[in-house]
Amino acid sequence: MATAPVSPPQPSTNRSHMNPVPPSVFTLPQTAQLEALYTIIRDKDTSRGDFLFYSDRIIRLLVEEGLNHLPVVKHTITTPTGTTYEGVRFEGKICGVSILRAGEAMEAGLREVCRSVRIGKILIQRDEETTLPKLFYSKFPQDIAARYVLLLDPMLATGGSAMKAVEVLIEHGVPEERIIFINLIASPEGLQTFCGKYPKLKVITGWIDQGLNEKAYIIPGLGDFGERRYCE
Amino acid sequence: MGSHDLHYLSTVHDRAHHPASKDPFSVLSLEAKKNTVLVSHGRPPWYGEDGKKLCDAFVIGIAGGSASGKTHVARQIVRTLGNIPSIVIVSQDSFYKRHTPEEIALANASMFDFDHPDAIDMPMFASCLADLKACKQSNIPVYSFSEHQRLEETKYLYGAAIIIAEGIMALHDPALRELYDLKVFVQCDSDLMLARRIARDVKERGRSVDGILEQYLRYVKPSYDNFVRPTAAYADIIVPGSNNSVAIELITTHIRRQLQERSNRFRAKMAIPQRLHSPGVVTPETKMEHLNLDVLRSTPQVQGIFTILRSADTLRQDFIFFVDRLSTLLVEYAMSLLPHAPKTVMTPVGVLSQGKQLDAKYVCGVCIQRSGGALERGFRRVINNVPIGSLLVQSALKTGEPTLLQVKLPLYIRRRDQALETFVFLLDAQIGTGAAAFMAIRILLDHGIRQDHIIFVTFLVARGGGISVLRRAFPDVKIVCGAVDDEMEEGWLDLNNDTVDGNPASSGRQVWVMRPGMGQIGIVLSAVLKKRRVLMLSYVAGDRYYL
Repeated sequence: MATAPVSPPQPSTNRSHMNPVPPSVFTLPQTAQLEALYTIIRDKDTSRGDFLFYSDRIIRLLVEEGLNHLPVVKHTITTPTGTTYEGVRFEGKICGVSILRAGEAMEAGLREVCRSVRIGKILIQRDEETTLPKLFYSKFPQDIAARYVLLLDPMLATGGSAMKAVEVLIEHGVPEERIIFINLIASPEGLQTFCGKYPKLKVITGWIDQGLNEKAYIIPGLGDFGERRYCE
Repeated sequence: MGSHDLHYLSTVHDRAHHPASKDPFSVLSLEAKKNTVLVSHGRPPWYGEDGKKLCDAFVIGIAGGSASGKTHVARQIVRTLGNIPSIVIVSQDSFYKRHTPEEIALANASMFDFDHPDAIDMPMFASCLADLKACKQSNIPVYSFSEHQRLEETKYLYGAAIIIAEGIMALHDPALRELYDLKVFVQCDSDLMLARRIARDVKERGRSVDGILEQYLRYVKPSYDNFVRPTAAYADIIVPGSNNSVAIELITTHIRRQLQERSNRFRAKMAIPQRLHSPGVVTPETKMEHLNLDVLRSTPQVQGIFTILRSADTLRQDFIFFVDRLSTLLVEYAMSLLPHAPKTVMTPVGVLSQGKQLDAKYVCGVCIQRSGGALERGFRRVINNVPIGSLLVQSALKTGEPTLLQVKLPLYIRRRDQALETFVFLLDAQIGTGAAAFMAIRILLDHGIRQDHIIFVTFLVARGGGISVLRRAFPDVKIVCGAVDDEMEEGWLDLNNDTVDGNPASSGRQVWVMRPGMGQIGIVLSAVLKKRRVLMLSYVAGDRYYL
């Protein structure tokens, strides 16, 4: 049987709040179903259990989409029937890096898709004196420079901490084009800044929202992801 | 009063639902269990290639006086029939009307006439029986003799090819008589009936002989003379209440002949694998667009997952992991085919957000066992707290027909009013011959599920298999699959791996492939072998997932 043609990752169709979308940004197919998932996690009255369940569904889809940007090579296997089949094999090692604390919430979803994936962590907080994002802690797999990195942060607001995280990764020898940023909701402002600084880095986001309010919260957003996931 | 035991022979699946110990009908359930045939023989297809029902169930009405031996006759018929696929005995006693408090007080004082036709909810009896006859589900009422009241619960019945309705008034109501294919009256001398009644009520119910006689003279005898005995005129056959083995033999011979005639008449149209797909016969190229499949986007990841699943060298734990991953993606995709409606919510930031919500009142899943179970984990990852039922469909040993062995359906499907508003995801690893898919869809339609509310989710569809027949029969069912293979193959498992589970049904598949009786076993087999492709058979998916 012939191998079905591979469908390349789809460019973003989420243009209502950002047009054009930077070419390195990919959104999930903007289906009514996806919108319904977002509607549940945006709703302030959604219980924590539902928030967990439905955000996990989106995260899984985001990770699956992100993995589609990794290379595959032709691979021929023998089926249980004894025939050969022309398929593909995944190429290249990966690791996840979560930006604490909210990014950690995406690890479970990542693990469901990539079983024993290594996961590094970064803690970045705003420096009270300079008001700039500052690296407080990082721990990566030793061979991170040889891996593709799935950088996890659910909300991209101003893009400050994400850019700081990328900076740290590059310092550890990870080439920009080997980083895939996985994100649930992005603001147009944040995407513009982030993609302007790192144009070769691919961004997989579920939804591009209207913008930011005066407190730099994403509008309409879903509030504080980490807070809702861990505390409420 | 009519016979006090509820004479009820539950169908195969129903007994599985209600363990005999808790079952108020356990007396007869145990009796039925002795008849192992009921469990071991599944139900063959009751529908044609066009997906439509071929014939109604065969309905037998058995009337006769109280303690005349109706139940005995019904059981003897079941026993003598032997290899019938599924049979249910429905008792008139289930259909006593709901009583007012005054009536219950009278009943407790033995002053209520249970032997009058008005005590029975005849319209409901007829409508339940009509549903069963039409191969639909029925939720029949449950009557408590201790409370003298109809209970809130109901008893779900589905899937009987033969239905026996018995009760003193079984031939009384014209609407009921319309439904019977065979009407039987059990004739017994009044003194014999009275003697049996006294013996039974004293022994089993601890009643006094005086009380029994009083009730007999006040209600039972007049009822028999006025309402029961006259209905003997409607009977096709009158059976003596004792020493009736010859009569039973006559009845069962008649039933067998009737069923055989139906079977002969419909066999040519029956949806069996040979007709859905013939190995060795070149089927014309089926155009993909005619199949109207919703195929998962073939991304690099999906292709990589399929490569792993197809490989003979894949370890079991990897197989399971990637099956779960693929099924999650498939169910996510399938969910996107459900209707959605606008919804506005307030976010924690204090802003309104216009979004959507799922516009489906009830959603549930049904696994076609065993291999459909491989999609269950993915299904649960996507739909929260979703009820999942199961159907066990196996190939019959001799004929290769798909047979239904067990039906466990979620409440949404069992209740007809809810079924109309329920979306059902049918889960199976593949559609090859399509025989199991065909049967599963028919079962859902029998329950009142709308065709366009059925979403069949599967890893693989064989383009050369039964899919085109399935499509023609059920054009509105949505079929979501991970990939489409060109060719259908069957039988290699049995050739390479015939000791997988020692299950006779497995070797049944082998028989199906070889098609005994054609005298070309070798030829057919080599034709099949040449066409071996990379299709992942359901058996294999099931074995690799579970064993």
